[in-house]
Amino acid sequence: MAGGLAYFIPAAKAAIDATGAPVVHVSPSPTMLFSPTPSSSPTAAPVAGAFTVLLLGSDDDSKFGPDHVLTQSMILVRIVPSTKEVTMLSIPRDLYVHLSTGGYAKIDGAYSYGGAGAAIATVEQDFGVHIDDYIWIGLLGLVKLIDAIGGIDVVTSNPVMDDYYPADILSNWPYDYQRVAVLAGPQHLDGLHAMQYVRSRHGDLQSDLGRSVRQQQVLIAIRQKAKQTSPEDLPAMSAAIGGELKTSIGLSKVAQLLPLAASFDNPDNIRQITLANPYTHGGAPGGSLYPDWGRILPLVHQYFP
Amino acid sequence: MIPRFVLALVLAIVMLIGGTSTFIYLTSKQTKVAAAPQKPTASTPRAQALVLPGTLYLTQSGAIYSLSAGRFHQLTPEVGYTQPSLYPDGSNLLVVRKFPSYSDVFIMTRFGRIVRELTDNAAPPRNLDMGYNYWSFYPRLSPDGQTLWMTYDGLKCHPECFDVSLAVWSMPFGGSIRQARAWTDGGYYTGGDVQPIPVSGGVIYTKYDYASKYDANEEGKLVGMLWFTNRAGSHGRELTTPGEDCRSPSLSPRGDQVAMICTYKKQISYLTIASWNGSTLGPRKTLISNQLVAQPTWAPDGSGIAYYAPANGAFQLWWLPRAAYEPPPPSPLPSPTPGGPHNGPLPTPTPPPPAPPVRPIQVTTNDGFDATSPMAWLG
Repeated sequence: MAGGLAYFIPAAKAAIDATGAPVVHVSPSPTMLFSPTPSSSPTAAPVAGAFTVLLLGSDDDSKFGPDHVLTQSMILVRIVPSTKEVTMLSIPRDLYVHLSTGGYAKIDGAYSYGGAGAAIATVEQDFGVHIDDYIWIGLLGLVKLIDAIGGIDVVTSNPVMDDYYPADILSNWPYDYQRVAVLAGPQHLDGLHAMQYVRSRHGDLQSDLGRSVRQQQVLIAIRQKAKQTSPEDLPAMSAAIGGELKTSIGLSKVAQLLPLAASFDNPDNIRQITLANPYTHGGAPGGSLYPDWGRILPLVHQYFP
Repeated sequence: MIPRFVLALVLAIVMLIGGTSTFIYLTSKQTKVAAAPQKPTASTPRAQALVLPGTLYLTQSGAIYSLSAGRFHQLTPEVGYTQPSLYPDGSNLLVVRKFPSYSDVFIMTRFGRIVRELTDNAAPPRNLDMGYNYWSFYPRLSPDGQTLWMTYDGLKCHPECFDVSLAVWSMPFGGSIRQARAWTDGGYYTGGDVQPIPVSGGVIYTKYDYASKYDANEEGKLVGMLWFTNRAGSHGRELTTPGEDCRSPSLSPRGDQVAMICTYKKQISYLTIASWNGSTLGPRKTLISNQLVAQPTWAPDGSGIAYYAPANGAFQLWWLPRAAYEPPPPSPLPSPTPGGPHNGPLPTPTPPPPAPPVRPIQVTTNDGFDATSPMAWLG
């Protein structure tokens, strides 16, 4: 008993710290002058047991103050345990939307203005979906998580070449940059190289949309690799990513989800959606993207009823 | 009556031993997912279960290894060496050395001695702009040994834009990088043309581009396609469709088949072969569909195909014998002799039972080969 406690207590403490985080809903600013963005209520019947999680990935380097980081990645994930289907919808970080905290801005700012609560509320109000939980992970957290599970096996869809990749993780100067070259094809990536693959955008014609696709590939690979871990691996993993991950999912639900993850094996049951043209188009303020809600909302309600 | 302090002491000892044992037991139950791969030489001189013909050159952790007669030898230190390829006569190898911001092609002897640098891709000294560095990958010599083929990002538009276009280039072997010329345009930004395989009359390579540019019915996903071009600057033509999403071509020793991997735009990787007549690929034949196959390479004696695929948390070396894709012809049935000693009706000859399917063989178990590095195989 004592040995078991000694073994699992650090993991339990880290898990308690990271999980079950309350979602603080930030009230709109009283100076809000903008009309709400169109949204519609779900039209399809909900599936029993299905749930939706908002994945948030952030720059948490020294360019930003603590808890005021942008979310470089926002992915809505809907899981249907009964049919073993997973749908991932990447929300462009440059999408010009009405924020739940008031005003219009790029959607990546929602988290910086009001934390996870504001990010969830913004997505819920603009996309007309219900979000059950969220998971936030920092850059370094993703690197550590992937290293803690021994790296991932990915089929990188194309060479990712970037002459101006941010070198802010291992450098003292947050605006430093470096050259990266991630070659194409099946390969084993450690945390740092997986991060380069999902984060680079300068060498991508589709910029943020292109890396959304890559982020989904890496998510699939993490899930695949996580199936090989056992509960005894949790202390080492929690020690590795401590402080770099927050989630509203409680420990009891995590315990329910772990065995579930292993059963999602069919690649045909994993649907990946990105909001490229014609769902979004450029020309919005500050280089952001205008959403075409007339196209986006029917798509979202089809897959996130 | 046992004194209390003795009882307490015994209980404390039991707790100490029990607790420690439990802790050690739980630690031992951890999976090895995060365990670092062994060096290939760690298994030497253990006899390999399978001895592949000739000498294979492979890459792990920035070092080149040879595998000959079932034993690995480390040829270079772990300083970024990768992508070995052989001279046509097998006398030397070309290798890439990858530095943090650039990579260069070198000549290396079969025993690991670096002889000469063939490219010069580092930015000029005191030039702090990263964009003046270049990448060279996948070097190959032409069958006549006169031309060096490679993937090179010499077309990028630095410093006016972010474009880093990988394209297929050729240069006189032993010449200067200034003599190099682009055979393909490499597209714009994402993707590019990589892994050239010089063949009679041209070059086969992998083009990464948006599927919708080549097929209106395809989505805007990035895919790999095998292409062939026979002249610098020509448009070339597709050998595989965008939907097949194929890459990593390898030409058979007789030059009449191509092995490749096709991913069908998913996180899968099928080992596929097709006949090659010098200009087009024949019908595809999928050999392996349940592994994440990388870098298929034909044995020089035609006895099979080696490839990388994951096992034990990293990419291992696997071997698929030829019998898996070219079954030996069935042995002729014994023909009954009419009018023999048996005068009744002739017995119906029963065909021999079908041969069991030939499965791939895992050659290594605890290594971690670089799956982006093609293998070189000397017969």
